[in-house]
Amino acid sequence: MWENLMLGFSTALTFENLLWCFVGVLVGTVIGLMPGLGSTTGVAILIPLTLGMEPVTALIMLAGIYYGAQYGGTITSVLISTPGEAASVVTTLDGYQMARNGRAGAALAIAAIGSFIAAIISLALLMALAPPFAKFALNFGPVENLAIIILGLVTVVSFAGGSMRKGLMMAAAGLLISTVGVASGFSDARFTFGNVNLLGGIPFVEVMIGLFALGEVLHQIRVGAAAPIKARFKDMVISRKELFKSGPSIIRGSFIGFLLGCLPGAGSTLASFMSYGIEKRVSKNKDNFGKGAIEGVASPESANNAAANANFVPTLALGIPGGGTTAVLLGAFTIYGLQPGPLLFEQQPTLVWGLLVSFFIGNVMLLVLNLPLAPVFAQMLRIPYAYLYPIIVLTSLIGAYSVSNNMFSVWLVVIFGIVGFFMKELDLPIAPLVLGLVLGPLFEKSLVQTSALGQGNFGILFQSPISVTILILALLLAVGPTVIGKLRRTQGNKSKGLTHV
Amino acid sequence: MTRSITGANLRKAVASLIIAVIGIAAVIGGFGYGFIEDGRIAAGFLPVLVGGAMALFALLDVVGSFRTSEKESTLLETAQVEAVDTLEPAPERESDLDIYGRSSKQRDRMLLMVIGIMLATVLLVPVLGFIVAFALMLIVIAVVVERRRLLPSILVSAIALAAAYGIFVLFLRVPLPTGILGI
Repeated sequence: MWENLMLGFSTALTFENLLWCFVGVLVGTVIGLMPGLGSTTGVAILIPLTLGMEPVTALIMLAGIYYGAQYGGTITSVLISTPGEAASVVTTLDGYQMARNGRAGAALAIAAIGSFIAAIISLALLMALAPPFAKFALNFGPVENLAIIILGLVTVVSFAGGSMRKGLMMAAAGLLISTVGVASGFSDARFTFGNVNLLGGIPFVEVMIGLFALGEVLHQIRVGAAAPIKARFKDMVISRKELFKSGPSIIRGSFIGFLLGCLPGAGSTLASFMSYGIEKRVSKNKDNFGKGAIEGVASPESANNAAANANFVPTLALGIPGGGTTAVLLGAFTIYGLQPGPLLFEQQPTLVWGLLVSFFIGNVMLLVLNLPLAPVFAQMLRIPYAYLYPIIVLTSLIGAYSVSNNMFSVWLVVIFGIVGFFMKELDLPIAPLVLGLVLGPLFEKSLVQTSALGQGNFGILFQSPISVTILILALLLAVGPTVIGKLRRTQGNKSKGLTHV
Repeated sequence: MTRSITGANLRKAVASLIIAVIGIAAVIGGFGYGFIEDGRIAAGFLPVLVGGAMALFALLDVVGSFRTSEKESTLLETAQVEAVDTLEPAPERESDLDIYGRSSKQRDRMLLMVIGIMLATVLLVPVLGFIVAFALMLIVIAVVVERRRLLPSILVSAIALAAAYGIFVLFLRVPLPTGILGI
């Protein structure tokens, strides 16, 4: 463990890696607070820029964008009640109310402090748990891998919100898109319609840029902009009493966030909502929730940051992304020629530990940046969106072109941008589609291997105790929420004295 | 139990129907690539499986979008309900006007214009070159769609293009397509 940590520090503390880590967290913060941009979009747009870098440096920067955006997303949640990140949605409830009461600075400060503490706790847990997890996963064969992928798909559907059938529909759509082109192990070109550009499949980065960047821009144009509330330097002072009051919420949020973030497919959004719900039940200050309770900011902000780090447990140890952004990062791994999964810890220790240690360094940078500078970042909300979104369009399309120096990529981004817009308009969740697309090739490979092992009989899935356990967990995740929801409604109706006829 | 058919519900149902048709087409196409060969799955297996699943869930969604009795929840939905059910509703905008005083109809028009401009830009790249086509796109969006003043719009566009050119062409050496002007 110590050897690995030293290896990580020696990798992360090189001048080049420190510089790109700083660039990542700074750009991430800015991306998180810009309307129409989020960590997934930011990472997707910036992957083309990293193609000439060392993989470890590129991943340090991209990961910095990911957790930096969590900090930035908070600023917009508090100041304009418009979350830059889905994981910051719940922060709007109390954060925006605090801002309306003239406590914007305190809300931003506790979010930064809570996020930092959560990051440190979750990183320590990540470093302790991911390697043994990966070691255990080394025992996994195609059957267990197939079960894990099914678990990931089910979790992401449940994580995505909206109805289960919409999530499943989009996960299937993602898997279907992944079948375009010539798959490894087969000689047939599928769904290419004679287009040679499609022989290699529909490229991942272009789809991500289209769905997230362009789709969000078009959506924002339709939604329109909201006016920001001013945050001042002198408001950033947080009282010792407030800090003390938030302590337990931060700790609870960190652990809830970590636990949920570890689930393959679950994301930080779920963690932030769950921690807020639990905090609202256990807090001594529960009457103030929704009216500007500082715990209502501290808890979900800690949870979403802890979950963002915990997302790397399934991503690095199993090769199954924890959420939308880690799905894009997983795509980046494959672009750099790396295969995330249990072997990564053995084959690429410098990369894995350098990346993990860079999270520590990045979070220290973020705290130093965010505590005094949040009001400065907040000024960026005043940049007119009219100037901002054409630049996002330019960056998206030029970035897409640069991936393979091909106008076909540009067209793909435009097409998927329009698809992404309609998905938002029609409340179709994007995350399951992304996960389906990312996991498609892996899913098909596991299907082929499992079918070969069972000589066409998929009953083999139920012969391994590990795969059965994983499938039961998937079933619980799929059915559990509906059952809980029905029970809640029945109880609610009973308490209102209603009976079904 | 059924609820009245709103425009939004109808749009969503039509979208799900289209997705169902795509799913069915994938199943048909998938069978053409082979489903099981020599006891092992063939190239069409996954398209048939996921196309079928897509069509099935899309059709269930069409039915479900007009019914309230089959309410089902996801984990996130349950957590959201848990988190916000006892709270007062979040502050909503008093009208559909944004901070620039534009109505939703105006914003819809802007959206169509931006999509049109974007498509025209990509079509013009082979003729005008990447840089010129996108310079025009930036200026047209700022001045025509967003009604910003010409000079600041040109300035912002020039800075954005110079930064993009510096990063992608000079630093990353991406050979952007050139047009009749040679740039």
